[in-house]
Amino acid sequence: MEQDKELESRIEEILKAEKENKIPRMTKRDYIIAAVITFICLLGIIGGFFL
Amino acid sequence: MSRRHDVNKEVEKEVYCGTLPVLPKERKYGFLDALLVLSGYCIATWSYTQGSYLATLVGFKQLLIGAFLAAIFMLLIYQVPVIMSTRYGIDIWIWLRSVFGPMGNKIVTIVIIVINFPWYAVCCELFADSMENLLGLFGIQLFNGAHLILSLSCVVIGTIIALRGVSTITWTTRILVPLLLLVGVAVVVVGFTSVPMDVIWNYQPELVGDADKTVNYVLSIEANFAFVITLVGGMAEVPRLCKSEKSGYYAGVLGQGAAGSFFVVVGAVMAIAMQHVTGVMVDDPTLMMATLSAPILGLSSLLLVAFANIGTQAVGSYIYGVMLKSTFKKASYKILVLILGVYVALLCVWGKITEYFGSFLTIGACVYAPLAALLFVDFFLVRKQKIDLKSAYELPGHNAYKYSKGFNIVGVVCLALGFGFTLLIFDPIRVVIHNKILFMLTPTFASFLFTGLLYYLLCRIPGIRHYVRRDTYAGPDKKPFDRAKTPPRQNIILLPLMWLACKIIVKPYKLKIDKHNMEGIKPPFLVYGSHNSFMDFYVTPLALKPYRANYISELEGFENFGEWIYRQVGCLGTRKFINDQYLIKNIIKVIKRGDIMVIYPEARYANVGTNSHLTPSVAKLAKLLKVPVVTINMQGNYLQQPIWNLKERKGARLHADLKCVVTRDEIEKLSVDEILSRISKELTYDEYKYQLENKIVIDDEWRAEGLHFPLYKCRKCGKDFAMTTSGSKITCKYCGDSYEMDELGQLHSSSGEIIRIPDWYEWQRGFVHEEIREGRYKLDIPVRIWALPNAVNFVDCGEGRFIHDNSGFSLEFDNYRSEKHETLKFPAKSMTSLHTEYDYRGKYGPCVTLSTYDDTFFIYPTDESRDVFNPTKIQFATEYLGGLYK
Repeated sequence: MEQDKELESRIEEILKAEKENKIPRMTKRDYIIAAVITFICLLGIIGGFFL
Repeated sequence: MSRRHDVNKEVEKEVYCGTLPVLPKERKYGFLDALLVLSGYCIATWSYTQGSYLATLVGFKQLLIGAFLAAIFMLLIYQVPVIMSTRYGIDIWIWLRSVFGPMGNKIVTIVIIVINFPWYAVCCELFADSMENLLGLFGIQLFNGAHLILSLSCVVIGTIIALRGVSTITWTTRILVPLLLLVGVAVVVVGFTSVPMDVIWNYQPELVGDADKTVNYVLSIEANFAFVITLVGGMAEVPRLCKSEKSGYYAGVLGQGAAGSFFVVVGAVMAIAMQHVTGVMVDDPTLMMATLSAPILGLSSLLLVAFANIGTQAVGSYIYGVMLKSTFKKASYKILVLILGVYVALLCVWGKITEYFGSFLTIGACVYAPLAALLFVDFFLVRKQKIDLKSAYELPGHNAYKYSKGFNIVGVVCLALGFGFTLLIFDPIRVVIHNKILFMLTPTFASFLFTGLLYYLLCRIPGIRHYVRRDTYAGPDKKPFDRAKTPPRQNIILLPLMWLACKIIVKPYKLKIDKHNMEGIKPPFLVYGSHNSFMDFYVTPLALKPYRANYISELEGFENFGEWIYRQVGCLGTRKFINDQYLIKNIIKVIKRGDIMVIYPEARYANVGTNSHLTPSVAKLAKLLKVPVVTINMQGNYLQQPIWNLKERKGARLHADLKCVVTRDEIEKLSVDEILSRISKELTYDEYKYQLENKIVIDDEWRAEGLHFPLYKCRKCGKDFAMTTSGSKITCKYCGDSYEMDELGQLHSSSGEIIRIPDWYEWQRGFVHEEIREGRYKLDIPVRIWALPNAVNFVDCGEGRFIHDNSGFSLEFDNYRSEKHETLKFPAKSMTSLHTEYDYRGKYGPCVTLSTYDDTFFIYPTDESRDVFNPTKIQFATEYLGGLYK
């Protein structure tokens, strides 16, 4: 019961923090960078077939 | 307090704290901290095994591509969902409960441990090899079976350390990571200095038998995919401790993709160097250092490697022991660690884990690839980055993820099919390729794509989406439905299937369709239909065959069945009793493109099988469109499934009359009143009269159950909300007055009086009118409110206040759209009727709805107001106040 209460209050706090963006989000730019690196890696892997 | 007690307490605390969401203020790791921790986890001695395995497959350049680019490629994709871990401070095992259900998650946890734990057998094997080889270098020959004893001793010591609990493990880790780094540095120095650089750079493996260079390259990429993907189990705890999503994500990618891969390459360099010098490829750093440098370096490295392997085994037992403990809360931690120890010991006794390293990697990936795909798709496309944390933690009253007895059948089936799909491509045990084209994608990546696509498509099917997305309230889509969107024509491919489905559904009820004045009537035309039950949507298309038609549907149908399918069958979405100009524009578009527009002008199912009054707007629309007006009066649909009890009555018989009531020539000439009069005449119906005249026997024992919703007032004592029903009886709970519903739909009192249900219904209406005229009508009650903004989901608006009086409706609540507590007003004259439900979708109970342009509010009684909330009475009042009845 005690544990449930603590858990519930933590969840509330986490949801509040999410709303207030207390944990910085991945931005669109971050996703784009990740996508570009992924693509470059894919090109590299394909290039490996020709070595 | 005994030591034993201490350990249990420590582990209990670790399990409890280890599963709690980590608050932002408690986060410890920036990018660099997380990178170091994750790098430490990735540089165990098995990296050398992976490196030497890759060196048997490909040349050094391809090996570099695989170790770095393939690893980073896969990590960039499958690490994306750890963003969720960082955002909510939870590990992925908590989140996985939403994908598999709590019970399914337990099974998945066990499977993951079974496929992951052989890594630790690799450590024990390496420990035994190191010992054996070094003793051999010093001329000490060991007896048969000594290898097994050595590897088992690694298991035993590691298990003992794990059993000592968290503080011992903490110290072990503190020593272990620097030790491994030291070994790594030594291997790098010796490996790169003992043979010329070009030997390593130009290295090509000798291809044995029918080995193919391309296949080997794909196998090496597969091994790298599998290597990084199977480590996720042990790394799942770290991202939740990160201070930002980016740091959690990139630390995961680079921890494995850069640091881990570097040690893989080091292992490969070592193996290549050893082969160059001795002709034998080894994965044992101790032996390499003893051979390529000096025995004393080998001896000192022995101590490092020995402790590192024991330490890794201990840490692994601890991590997975805690993971099992958090899944099986009642089990003893010590027993769980011992079970893990026995499992590794059995693998050591088997003795072939190093030989089957590639196979075990791929088998692991067979499970991890679909798992990663499910996480990815679930995160981005299905749950759209929102989960219900309270349900994920199984807090009392939060059961969104219970699914079917604790299993999310969809997630579990996708995982199983994804696993099977990999095996269809490649047999990892016998190394046999079954499908070369898909194999080129690598089994892991192909399975990732297959499972992701399968899960996504399944979750697009409305029924399955509702099953999987029971947590929509946690992060609902609030974007309003696009009412302006032009409705497509009925899908020509789906149309025959639709007719077939309609035919099958109506078959038991022997539908008969009569057409009147329909000669020469071709689309476009306008159809007005009676509205009794959902059966109307099956009868109408059959009556209009072979033509296509479009139908107006309330938005909740879109939500229930899915927007795509609803649009394909020709539905135009709207909200009830609002002045929807976009709807009119879309109706005009349908007519202009030459189709049939079907409208059910009562805009609500008949409560007791009788028609409602129609408003002049029905005729005005016909005049505006300037096309023939056809009516379809359907009989039996109400009898088959009345709104007050949605169980189907098999005895019902269906009949429909399709009739052209206004021709194209007449539409210009006739007045609005004349047109309305013709339509109203043809859409007059009385289902009980139809039942009696046709002697349609409905003998279901429960035939009266639910009738108290439309017949709420006692005819004897006059009390409102007094009636209850059971079986075939309706009874007053106050005065006991009771009626038996016969098999032809008539009510019989104990004194022999026969009452028609529609008569009782209309008798009640008079009392409501009187209440209003005398100024006595007022409803002011607490209610529960759900908003339907679109075709995707409902939004929980919590409790509010519902007021209905002579001025109209007021709804006072926390409006999610404005994020304010406010009162919405719906003037009495703006609504001629009201949408009511007696038991919404057969499980949510009675409700009424009020609509704005962007929301439909479903209003349910609370426990406090349940006894005075009757949709029928509210509807009577609305219709009187709105001017539909005088």
